[in-house]
Amino acid sequence: MSSENRTVTGTTRSALQAGLLMFVGVVLAACTTTTVDEFRQGETGIESHESIVILGRRQGSSYETREEFVDCVGDRVARGARGIRVIPEKEFIDSMFPWFEPRTAPLRTSDLQTLMEEQLVADKIAEYGIRYIIWLDGQTETTNRAGSISCAVGPGGGGCFGFGSWEDDSNFDARVWDVSSFANVGTISTDATGQSYVPAVVVPIPLIARVEANACNSLASQLQQFVNGD
Amino acid sequence: MLKNLALLCGAALLSACGASSLVVSGSYPSPNVGQMPLTLGVYYDEELRNFTYVEYSETGKEEYRIASGQTHIELFDTVLPAMFANVVVLNDLDSAPSARVDAVFAPSIEEFQLALPQKTRLDSYEVWVKYNMRLLGPNGEYIADWVMTSYGKTPLATLRSTDAGINDATVGALRDLGSSFALSFDSVPEVREWLAAQQ
Repeated sequence: MSSENRTVTGTTRSALQAGLLMFVGVVLAACTTTTVDEFRQGETGIESHESIVILGRRQGSSYETREEFVDCVGDRVARGARGIRVIPEKEFIDSMFPWFEPRTAPLRTSDLQTLMEEQLVADKIAEYGIRYIIWLDGQTETTNRAGSISCAVGPGGGGCFGFGSWEDDSNFDARVWDVSSFANVGTISTDATGQSYVPAVVVPIPLIARVEANACNSLASQLQQFVNGD
Repeated sequence: MLKNLALLCGAALLSACGASSLVVSGSYPSPNVGQMPLTLGVYYDEELRNFTYVEYSETGKEEYRIASGQTHIELFDTVLPAMFANVVVLNDLDSAPSARVDAVFAPSIEEFQLALPQKTRLDSYEVWVKYNMRLLGPNGEYIADWVMTSYGKTPLATLRSTDAGINDATVGALRDLGSSFALSFDSVPEVREWLAAQQ
C-alpha cells in the first residue's frame, strides 16, 4: 500500500471517528431535559472580597445531598469571568465544627441569626468573608429500568446481546441565605430528566444521559447570575 | 513449588471464609465552643480502648469485626481539650486525687448497631451507637450519669468498598457524638448544677 493510500485511509478513519463521536454527543444531549426555576425574594450582589459557601442538606432520613454534587456546583460557580469565591464545603464544616453537622446545622434563617450570636461562629464567618450561605437539597433517582442483557463466553470468544434502559431524574433546590440580613433572598430549583440506553450486539454500547451533570451545570450557571445580581 | 501453591490456595480459602476485620480510622475537628476553666481527668477503661463490634451473617457466622476503641479515644482527645482548660488522661480512677482534677469523665459504649445495604436493601451504610457517660468527683463520688446516642450514615457508592462504607458511617457517628457532646454537656441537669457549684 502506497503512503498516499495510507493517508487517505487514516483521514477516512479520523472522519468516521469524529462522526461517531458527534453522533454519540447528539444522542447524549438529546437524552436530557433540564428545567431551571428562579424565585427571587430580595436584592443580591457580591463584592470581590466576599465569598459564598455551598452546603448540602443531610437531615433527611431517606436521602442526603451528595457531596460530589455540592462540589460540582461549587467548582462551576467559581469558574469564568463572573466567578465567585467559593469556600469548599468540607473545609467550612470542619472549621465550624460542631455548628454545621447534620444534627446541628441551622434549618431556618432565624436559626442562623441565633447561631451568629455565638462569637466564635460570627468570627469564623467574618474571617472567611462569607456573604451568602447556599443550601443545596435534592437527589437523583433512577426509575423505569427495563430490558436485559445476556453475556456469554466460550472457547471461540464471547459477547453480549440485549437491550437495557432506565430513566434518571435529578431534582435539586438551592436556597440562598444572606448572612448580612439573615434573610432567604431566593430559591433556584432545577429538574433534569434523561433516558439512558445500553444496546448490546456482541459489545454493549452505553449511551448514558448525563442528567446530574446537566443539573449541576444549569444550577451553577443560574446561581452565579443570581448571586452576582445580574 | 506444588506445596507452596497448595499453602497459598489454603490461605486464600481460609481468608475467604473468615470475618473481615476493620480498624476504624478518621480525623475529627476541634470544636468551636467556649472553654471551661476546669481541669478534667478522663479515664478510658480497657473495654472502651479495645471496643470491637462483631456483625454476624444470617447464618450466625462472624462477618465483620469492627474495632472502634482507638478512634473513640482520638475523638475525645480532640474534643475535650477544646472544652476544658486542662485535660489529664488517667491510667486508673485511683490516680484522680493526686492528679488534682476537678472531675473525672469516664465514657463507655453500651450498644453498637450496624446496618449494611446488602441486608437492609437501602442505599446507605448506617451506624448507631449508644453511650453511657459518667462524671465523677476526684474521689469517685457521683456527679452525673447520662445516656447519649449518635448516628452516622454514608451513601452506597459504585467504587466504595464495604469496609470504606462502614468506616465512613462510623466516623460520621463519632462526629455526631462529638458535636452533640460539645454542645449539650452543660445542658445535663446534674452537670449544670455541678458547673454552677464550681463558680
